Amino acid sequence: MSFANSATFEQLALPLLPSLYSHAFWLCRNHAEAEDLVQETISKALRAFDSFEAGTNFKAWIFRILRNTFLTSRSGIAASRTVFLEDHPDLLDTSDTSPTPEDHLIRLDNQAAVNEALDRLQPPLREVLLLCDVEELKYKDIALVLDVPIGTVMSRISRARRTLHQLLQPQLGESL
Amino acid sequence: MTQTTHLAPEQLNAFIDGELSSGEALEVQQHLADCRSCALRVLSATQLKAATARAAQRFAAPPEALNRLAAQLRPQEPKKTARVYQFRSMAWAALAAGLVLAISLLGWRRIHQTNALSAELLDQHLATLSSGASPEVISTDRHTVKPWFQGKLPFSFNLPDALPADTALKGGDLTYLNGQPAALLLFTIHKHEVSVFLTQRTSGPTVTTLPGIRSGFAIHHAATQDLQLIAVSDVDPADLDVLVSALVQAQSPR
Repeated sequence: MSFANSATFEQLALPLLPSLYSHAFWLCRNHAEAEDLVQETISKALRAFDSFEAGTNFKAWIFRILRNTFLTSRSGIAASRTVFLEDHPDLLDTSDTSPTPEDHLIRLDNQAAVNEALDRLQPPLREVLLLCDVEELKYKDIALVLDVPIGTVMSRISRARRTLHQLLQPQLGESL
Repeated sequence: MTQTTHLAPEQLNAFIDGELSSGEALEVQQHLADCRSCALRVLSATQLKAATARAAQRFAAPPEALNRLAAQLRPQEPKKTARVYQFRSMAWAALAAGLVLAISLLGWRRIHQTNALSAELLDQHLATLSSGASPEVISTDRHTVKPWFQGKLPFSFNLPDALPADTALKGGDLTYLNGQPAALLLFTIHKHEVSVFLTQRTSGPTVTTLPGIRSGFAIHHAATQDLQLIAVSDVDPADLDVLVSALVQAQSPR
């Protein structure tokens, strides 16, 4: 890699370090592993930087490397054994019962409750929400990171928010 | 056209995530103006989105971890080159060490070879001293000695017309020195036996590094354009030099 490319890589990657670390932490749930994961991601990305197409989303590109690195790690392989039903539409509860205004009275005032609800969310659902709500990636970029069709991204986001919403219902919140 | 049915969940999500085209977004906005239920859902979903982001951001990277990661980013290229330079200097050091070793080996070999050569010269000279050995050609006449070597050596040489004072030619012999055919001329200077070896000049072990004295015997070396000349004797080195000079002079064309 040329020095110019290396300088470009640094310019692009440096502002993303906090995001990469935070996302890595959510994947690993461990600080030491998170740092190792980001480190490995950086060295992989640096080596593969020639394959990065200028003008495309660098953040999505490097988050994809982060995710793939995680999936091939020990904890990633363990996590991937979790059965995830969301991508099987026939098993999904697609009914959207006409919500009553009371349904929206979730306990958003209680950040601790939100934190716990996010922790309890299935990892694949949490992952898509993190990419969307925290990293503010576009659906097409999330599809690239997760290597799924954009329709799957949309349905996952829907399911993630619905589940989170349910977890934050006042009656459920009492048991949190 | 105002949407009459409630927003589908995915439509709502796409709206709050800014994924709708401006036309689609306008449609949703028009519906929200008319539908309190959907407006509440959108409000709730927007708040949830913000709350999710806050919840997720509680695991901020420790500053020292970020510093380490940033350091990994920054010196990547210089570190690589530094490593290359390090490797290069190591290679140079290894090369230099190899050269030193090769030179010292060459030097050792040279010393070893010249030592071997001087030992060989001395051995041959001592052999001529033993009473039982007599040269192949016994003659004090240079006109006898010189022709005797013809056909036996791949080179020829001249003997001086007149030898230095109290120096006499005793005879000659064919020998091998350092693996090369050599003419061994036997002289006496003041009754001291002198062996003079004549060989073709080669790029072989340089005899200029021969020790001048070995075991009490003087070893003198001289070279002409074609010949290499080594004299061994226990005579006064100055007298030996006179003979060597006379022999060297005899080789130059007259």
